[in-house]
Amino acid sequence: MATTFKTFLTNDVVSTRTMLHEAIPMTGTIASGTYTNKAGAEHNIKNYSHGMFQSVYDYPYLSSSANHIYDIAVGYSALSALSGASSIQNSKKINIYNQMAQVLMGHSASGEILRFDQDGDLLSGGTKLNECVFFNFSRLLSKDEIKKGSFSATFLTGGTQAAPFGALTVTDAAATNDFRINSPAGEYGILQDGSSNKLGLLFYQAGIAVVTASVFTSLSTLNLIARQRLVSYGIGAPGASYDTSSMESLMTGSHITASCDAIRNRLQSVSFNNTTELNSTIYFCRVNHNDYNYTANPTYLSGSKIRVKNATTDSPVSYITTIGLYSADNELLAVAKLSEPLKKDPTTEFTLRVRLDY
Amino acid sequence: MAFLDNSGDIILDAVLTDTGRMRLAKGDGSFKIAKFALGDDEINYALYNKNHTSGSAYYDLEILQTPVLEAFTNNGSSMKSKLVSIPRTNLLYMPILKINPFASGNEQVESSGSFFVAVDSDTESSFGLEGGVLGGENPSADNSFIRVDQGLDTTEVSPTYTIDADLAETQYIIEIDNRLGKICASTDATLANISFIDDDNIATYFLSLGTDLKFVKENTNRSNPAPLECIAGPRGTTLTFKVQASLDLNTSTYLFERLGGTFNMRDATTGATVSSVYYIDTTIRVTGATTGYRLDVPVRFIKKP
Repeated sequence: MATTFKTFLTNDVVSTRTMLHEAIPMTGTIASGTYTNKAGAEHNIKNYSHGMFQSVYDYPYLSSSANHIYDIAVGYSALSALSGASSIQNSKKINIYNQMAQVLMGHSASGEILRFDQDGDLLSGGTKLNECVFFNFSRLLSKDEIKKGSFSATFLTGGTQAAPFGALTVTDAAATNDFRINSPAGEYGILQDGSSNKLGLLFYQAGIAVVTASVFTSLSTLNLIARQRLVSYGIGAPGASYDTSSMESLMTGSHITASCDAIRNRLQSVSFNNTTELNSTIYFCRVNHNDYNYTANPTYLSGSKIRVKNATTDSPVSYITTIGLYSADNELLAVAKLSEPLKKDPTTEFTLRVRLDY
Repeated sequence: MAFLDNSGDIILDAVLTDTGRMRLAKGDGSFKIAKFALGDDEINYALYNKNHTSGSAYYDLEILQTPVLEAFTNNGSSMKSKLVSIPRTNLLYMPILKINPFASGNEQVESSGSFFVAVDSDTESSFGLEGGVLGGENPSADNSFIRVDQGLDTTEVSPTYTIDADLAETQYIIEIDNRLGKICASTDATLANISFIDDDNIATYFLSLGTDLKFVKENTNRSNPAPLECIAGPRGTTLTFKVQASLDLNTSTYLFERLGGTFNMRDATTGATVSSVYYIDTTIRVTGATTGYRLDVPVRFIKKP
């Protein structure tokens, strides 16, 4: 009996899961400087009328070639020393903080929004990150999650915007074996500088970095982590209308988007590895010696005579270029192509391994 | 689609077809891969040179250098020719499918190479007397039909021999654009059962010997010569069917304007030329489920303006 289909048996199909990682390096020049015209307009930065956050693209965002890479927002807790009626966009900054906190940190048993915690130990209290800068990476970059231990961000924390210095790098290097799981948004690690100062949190599945505003200050007026690096207050872009005297002044005296402008100009680089979780089904197409030695290809026959044979004693031969995977009712559900024809005759057997990723 | 890089190791480029994605999106469990088949769409076996002066290692040199295209996602565009498993290796002839142009009522319209389907009564009455014009609105009232014969089309083997059982086709797969028409029996225009309709509106019918008696028959004519047979050697089975035009084509010119055009055609009754007759050209694909051989039957749906 001639047949064209071969049914998969139980041990011909296996499911696997693979983690795929990509390196995502982003220089600070993407965030500031590359797409600035003479008038100072940055075409790859998108601001919104609500002024709650700012979006960074890798190309002028009006172009269809542009990819959204991340958003920046700043905010503080209502319990922050910066919170006050005189602060510009005070309620919006609190709203941003609370929104991020309730999504990423969750609520207490009494329903209150939990603030960002410096070391993730919520039960014993400890230092809270009341003033934060949020970097929300797009799903295009972070994919399923950021790979633990791969994140690094460098800020220029000193000098003026025109001549910044004082590079401060925060990483989650310790997170490979030390991360927290008490967030409703998944796992998170602690961002630390080279001196193990805890300067932020990195939420892996959410793809969000929460960095304390204290990376740009050493003042103790805020509920900040003591640091010794920052010396000069010059945060802000040249000619900007917002306050440039200090991070504290920036957060109280400037709009959110203006604060984002300033922080972008101090961002030297960000890099991480993303993770894509590939769920695969592997189909082992077992072609035995007596399988598929003939073909229904119209060129195979000349007047019903098989072209590749002179006599009945010659071996039949066929060439495989395509594997079709079918449903039980003969619908073609998937196709796999070989990069070159594969010769099949009665002396050969193959197992062709087709992997479908989901 | 581009060619696959064949400079290094053999790689596999696999994609879900549009039908596969549609079934996956349904989430009803209909996406279940149960079997596989192998294809060789790009291979031209005429390049196999059995007389190469350098020896047998060079017979298939050109075939093995054939570049292979990336996988198509359209389910109808891939696996046009399938590899066939036949346990014995001593075959020298294989069966084919062929439109039988000699059977009475099975003529294709002269010079066009197509069968015509008149989609309404008005068109039937004007052109129905032409050979090869099938009645699309009243198929049972028309004598025309499409017949496909299967067997070994060679004079090297006499048709008095019975075709080997493993080469006789027992089931046919017919694919037709469901927007245009449906398959029905040549005897009484009974509609065949549709097995499924894919995402491109292609309806698939499975018609089997012994089950679909009005469609598939054994060809018992062993005469040699046989004037009404198109298979020169041993004969297997025959498939006969008609086409019932869809309601859309019967009642509207919308699809004709979108998918077809107009042409001039002679009125078989009056002899006058009718201009601007609407038409849609398509193919009805007939595949042998057992032997894998595939035949595209050209069909033109026509509608009098």
